[in-house]
Amino acid sequence: MAELEFVDLSVKVGARTLLDRITLRVAPGEFVALIGPNGAGKTTLLKTALSLRTPSSGSVRLSHRSVSELEARKRAALIAWLPQHIRAEEPVTGLESAAAARYRFRESHAQSRRAAEQALARVGASQYAERRVTELSGGERQRVAFACLIAQQAEILLFDEPANHLDPAQQLEVYRLLGELWREGRSILCINHDVNLLHHVGDAARVRVVGLRAGRVAFDAPFESAALPAHMADLFGVEVEALRGSEQRFIVPRARSTS
Amino acid sequence: MKLRALLIIVSCAALLLAAVLVGPRLEGPQGEFIVWQLRVPRVLVGVLVGATLALVGAVFQALFQNPLATSDTVGTTAGATVGALFALVLDSSRTVQGLPLVTVCAFVGALSGSLLVASFASSRAAHSSDVLLAGIAVTLATSAMASGIQYVSDSRALFAAAQWSLGQLPQVGYRGVLLLAPLCTLSCALLLLLTRPLQAFALGEDLAHSQGVNVPRLRLFALGLGSLGVAACVAWCGPIAFVGLIVPHLVRRLLGSSYRVLLPMSLCVGAALLVTCDAFARLIVPGRELPVGIVTAALGAPTLVFLVARGRR
Repeated sequence: MAELEFVDLSVKVGARTLLDRITLRVAPGEFVALIGPNGAGKTTLLKTALSLRTPSSGSVRLSHRSVSELEARKRAALIAWLPQHIRAEEPVTGLESAAAARYRFRESHAQSRRAAEQALARVGASQYAERRVTELSGGERQRVAFACLIAQQAEILLFDEPANHLDPAQQLEVYRLLGELWREGRSILCINHDVNLLHHVGDAARVRVVGLRAGRVAFDAPFESAALPAHMADLFGVEVEALRGSEQRFIVPRARSTS
Repeated sequence: MKLRALLIIVSCAALLLAAVLVGPRLEGPQGEFIVWQLRVPRVLVGVLVGATLALVGAVFQALFQNPLATSDTVGTTAGATVGALFALVLDSSRTVQGLPLVTVCAFVGALSGSLLVASFASSRAAHSSDVLLAGIAVTLATSAMASGIQYVSDSRALFAAAQWSLGQLPQVGYRGVLLLAPLCTLSCALLLLLTRPLQAFALGEDLAHSQGVNVPRLRLFALGLGSLGVAACVAWCGPIAFVGLIVPHLVRRLLGSSYRVLLPMSLCVGAALLVTCDAFARLIVPGRELPVGIVTAALGAPTLVFLVARGRR
């Protein structure tokens, strides 16, 4: 079981500090939701975990080994990513896309295709198997990318706003799937703007919420902690209200903070 | 889709055959000589060059995620031009180990141009757009050198340089075929082995990286292998425009972007297209041959506009 650890991690671009001495651990089988204002460094954190960005100091460790030293295929076995934006300029089909995500496996094309078909079926995207991604809508394309992520079969899954551009039904479906993958034993680090969606992963009591502001960890609290609304109000500079549903608590912004 | 691919392969083969047969009526031993010693080797050169240029174009477009990328974009042609000019100014009749000096210098120039870009591309931090910019920088720098050489050279060398830059399939006989074949075959065969990682590039370079593709290494391999094949082609034939650009777009339109289809089909269509254009170039003005580069450019430019316009609809 893989463990993801950011150790005293800083990322600087020129004079700008994107991440400032972040120490954060995602234990095997843990679900961590990452929230924060735009430009807080959330996406940078994920990209650094994938070795798409190089730390200025500190390190990212995957199962106690520095991620930059891992051979690319080995890294891909440990960690996978659903980016926020999917490039779609090439008229490649959904099936070919998901089959290509099997790159880390040394297997025949027929085997890749079978795994890709299963992955597409799992996210309910089988109807896009023979359609070209260039012809799909943003939400449909997102689902094909989700199938790619599943086809890769990594242990740690990174999500960058997976519910972006989706209608409410699709949003619930995505978070339900996230919960399913989590219960299969995968670790999940998920950038998220609407914490209320976390109810749909099931077992939300075990979800951790980490707030990021200006490249630093602002808070780190269990999803059901009583302090979360106050943390969020502080993080986003808004007044929030915690509403009680029949079983669940919903945190909604009400107005901008006046202070 | 399979039927369509088969149909394309059959028409390519038919075009190749037709290219050998068309022309003035030939009879007797002289006709036999023209067919077997002149036309067949020339068609073979066309096959090798067309296939290589088209495949490399398809690979570079995938690699740079840019529909405009070809071997020209990464400094290969620009380097070859400087090399060829240098040789033409020096002495166009000289040979090295039995090879024309122009060919040798163009080959060396092409390789050095693209190696400059490749060395930059293999760095970890470089993104594909940076590599394209490096290619443009090398191209600009080398064309400045080329202008410099032209400025100090005499009119005879200038004329030879202008002719070289048009691009044509030379009458090199079977010896030329034997020299081109190993380089082109090696380059194409190894490039075809990169199908799988290139396919992962279709949804973006970063996603391919996260899926386990070693991006800098792939870039270095593809650039090195592609440049090797193209350098050999450019050295013999000069820069032949548009084949590397048009063919992958054409195939993509017809058969989609599964690289397991796109790459081998680009080989076939590239070969057929260049040989057909060359047959045109032989026949279009009676009693005189046009450089094939003029024909590919004249046909290629409108075709490209047409493809783009249709694709936008």
